[in-house]
Amino acid sequence: MEDTEVRDLISDLPQSIMESILSRLPIRDAVSSSILSTKWRYRWTTLTHLVFDDNCVKGCNDRALLEGNLISFITRTLFLHQGPIHKFQLSTSYLQCCPEIDQWLLFLSRSGIKELVLELGDGEWFRIPSCLFNCKKLTRLELCRCEFEPPPSFKGFLYLKSLNLYQVLVGPEAIESLISSCPVLENLSLSYFDSLALTVRAPNLKYLCLEGEFTDICLENTPQLLAMSVAMYMTEDTAEHFEQSSSCNFMKFLGGVPLLERLIGHIYFTKYLSVGNRPGKLQITYSHLRVIELYQVSFEDMKEILVVLRLITNAPSLTELKISGSSHTSAATEAPDLAFWAKECPKDCTFKQLKCVTMTDMSGVPHEMEFIKFLLANSPVLEEMSISPCVYVMDCRMNMLIELLKFRRASGQAEILFVQE
Amino acid sequence: MSEVDMAVIKPEMMKSYIWLQTADGSIQQVEQEVAMFCPMICHEIMQKGLGSSKNYAISLPQRVSPAMLSLILDYCRFHQVPGRSNKERKCFDEKFIRMDTKRLCELTSAADSLQLKPLVDLTSRALARIIEGKTPEEIREIFHLPDDLTEEEKLEPLKNTTDDPRIRLLNRLYAKKRKELKERQKKKSVEVEDGCVDERSVDDLLSFINGENADSKGVRTSKNKKKNRRRRDPQKRASIDQVAESHKKDSNGLGCLGHTTGGDNESHSTLSETSKLQDIEDDIFDQKVEFDDVDIDDEIDPALKEEIDREVEDFARRLNSDWPERMQELLSLGQDRSPVHFSSNGNGSLRKKRRDLMVEK
Repeated sequence: MEDTEVRDLISDLPQSIMESILSRLPIRDAVSSSILSTKWRYRWTTLTHLVFDDNCVKGCNDRALLEGNLISFITRTLFLHQGPIHKFQLSTSYLQCCPEIDQWLLFLSRSGIKELVLELGDGEWFRIPSCLFNCKKLTRLELCRCEFEPPPSFKGFLYLKSLNLYQVLVGPEAIESLISSCPVLENLSLSYFDSLALTVRAPNLKYLCLEGEFTDICLENTPQLLAMSVAMYMTEDTAEHFEQSSSCNFMKFLGGVPLLERLIGHIYFTKYLSVGNRPGKLQITYSHLRVIELYQVSFEDMKEILVVLRLITNAPSLTELKISGSSHTSAATEAPDLAFWAKECPKDCTFKQLKCVTMTDMSGVPHEMEFIKFLLANSPVLEEMSISPCVYVMDCRMNMLIELLKFRRASGQAEILFVQE
Repeated sequence: MSEVDMAVIKPEMMKSYIWLQTADGSIQQVEQEVAMFCPMICHEIMQKGLGSSKNYAISLPQRVSPAMLSLILDYCRFHQVPGRSNKERKCFDEKFIRMDTKRLCELTSAADSLQLKPLVDLTSRALARIIEGKTPEEIREIFHLPDDLTEEEKLEPLKNTTDDPRIRLLNRLYAKKRKELKERQKKKSVEVEDGCVDERSVDDLLSFINGENADSKGVRTSKNKKKNRRRRDPQKRASIDQVAESHKKDSNGLGCLGHTTGGDNESHSTLSETSKLQDIEDDIFDQKVEFDDVDIDDEIDPALKEEIDREVEDFARRLNSDWPERMQELLSLGQDRSPVHFSSNGNGSLRKKRRDLMVEK
C-alpha cells in the first residue's frame, strides 16, 4: 500500500485553493484535516470563515455533555486559529447563556470580525457584552435570542450593511439610534419585537423586513428603499390605539419610498394602512413598484379595499399582484355597498403592465368578486389570473365560478385558473 | 467563386485563432473567443500581444498539461456561449466534474494557474465533497498523502481539537507511561519487587494481549476495581506490567516531543483519583497500567520493541474502529454517570461480543 512512487496529489496546490476547499467543509472535518500529514497540520488554521453549529459535536443523550463538548471545541478551535477571522457564525440550540461566549466575542473583536451571526437556543437570553460594539469593521450582524444594549458612548457601526435582529431584547431608543448611526445600512430585519414604536432613519436602506407587534412605524428617511416586507401582529390594545390615531399611516409608511419595487404586506398590513386615510387622490406615484403582495385583506372593510385600490392605481409598472383574503361570508350581514364599484371606483385606470394576478383564500363575498371583475376589465395584458377559494367555503364555489364566467376580460390571452386543491 | 459566395463564407473563416504552447513544448491553435475566457490568456493577449502566430505562442504555466488544457478548453467552449440558461450550465458542470481524483486535482491546479475562477470553484467544491465525512485514513488513501505524523503528534491534545474521547484516552495512556518511566528511572537504585518475575516469552505475551484475556466483566465501578485487580492471576498481572512497561519504553522511544499535556497533571497512580474525573470517557480507560511497586528490567530487546510498536498502533486502530459502538453501549449503560473501567489490554472486555465481528487489520 505504501507506494512511494505515487506523488501526493493535493498537498501542493496553492494555499488559496486549499483554503477554498477547507472552507467548504464543515468545520469539524476541516479541523480534522490537521492529522492528515505534516503539510496539512496547520492548513486549516488560517481559514477566515468559521461556521459552528450543532453538528460539531457528536450526538448523545447527555445535554450537559453536549454543551461542554461544543464549548470546548469552539474554544480550542479559536485558540489554535491564526490570523484574522472575518466571519463567525454560531447556530446552536445547546447553548444559551454561557460565559464562554463573552470570551469568544472578545477574541473576535480583536480579530477584525466582519460578519457575526449568533443564533442561540431558547432559555435565558444571552446578554451581549460591550466588546461587540468595539468591532469596528462589522458589515453584517445577526443576533437571535439575545439581550442587546449599546453603551452610551457608542457611535455606530460605520460599515454595517446588514442588521438582523430576531427575538432580541433591546430598548426602542437604542434600536432607533443604532439604525440611524449606521450610515451604510442597506438591509434591516427586525423580528418578534414586542410593542415597538419605530421610526426608521436610514438613508441607504434598500431592504426592510419587519415582523412583530409594532405599535407605530414611521419610515422617516428611507428614500432608497427597494423592497419591504411587513408583518404586524396586532393585539386588541394596538387595534384600539390605531382607531384613535389621527395620523395617516399610509403616508407614514409609504410616503417616502419613491424607488420601491416590491411591497409585501402580511396580516393586518392593509388594516394598518387604512387608518387615518384621507380620501382623495394620492399624489405619489410608485413608478418602480412591480410586485405587490398583500395577505389577509378583509374585503368587508371598505377602508381596506380603498387602500388596495390606492396602491394599485398608483403603481403604473405593476406586473404581479398577489392578494389573499380574510373575509367570512357569515359576517357579511349588512348589504355591502356595491354601488361604490359602479360610481366611485376610478374609471380611467388601466393596469398596463399587469401580467399575473393570484387571489387566494377567496370566500366569494361580493366585494371580492367586484374586485376581480375590476381587475379583469382593466388589465389589457393580463396573462394569468389564478383564484383559489378558501378551504372553508364549499358551497359558494359554484356560484363563484358562474360569476367569474360572466366577467368581461380586457385581455385576450388571460387565463383564469380556478385552483382546487 | 463569386464575390457573394466569398462574402458569405468569409465570416466563418475569419474566426481568429490563438496559439498556445504547453510546458511540454507542443503548440496548438484555439479559437480566440474560447481561449479568451481564461483571464490569464486574455491578459497575455491584451497586454503583451502574444498568441497571434506560431512563433509568438502564449506559453502556458507548467501546471497546464495538454490533457488538462483540452479539458479546460472544453469547459470554456461551453460556458463562453452567452445564451445558455443557468440550468444548462449547472448540468454541464455536474457532468464535467465527474472524473477520477487525480485528474480533478490536476485540473484544479491548471485552472488556478490560468486564473479561471469559476472552474477553480467548481473543482474545489468537488474536492470538498470528496473529503467531507471521510476518516483521515480514507482521505490519505484517496490523495496518496504521506502518513508522516508520528503517533504522538496525531494525538497531541492541543493540536487535535476534534475533541475525540479516544484521543484523550490514548493521551492519558502515553502520559501515564511516560510519568512512570520517569519515576522508574528515579527509583532505579531502589529495589522493590512485588509479584513474580514473568518468564514468559514474547509470543506468549502477545497472544495473551491479543486474545486470551478472558476477564470479561465489562463495566466496573471504581469501588470494585481493587477487588477485581486482586482477583486476577498474579502472573497475568505481572505480564500486564511487562507490556505496560514496554509500552512506556516504546513511547519514550517515539521521542516525547516535550509537550505538556493536561493529562500529565491529571493522571495519578491511584485508581480512586482517576475516578474523580468528570468525563465518562476519561474514566473509561482502565488505570490498570499504573503499577505501584513493580520494578522491571529496563532492557528490552529490539524484537520486543518492534512488537510493542505494532501493538500500540494496533491498539490505536482498534480503538478508532469500534469506538462509536463502544460509546453507545457505555452511554446506554452508564446513565448514572458512574465511572466505568475496562481492562487496559488492547482486547478490552467489552469487545468480547464483537471479537468475531472485528476484522484484524
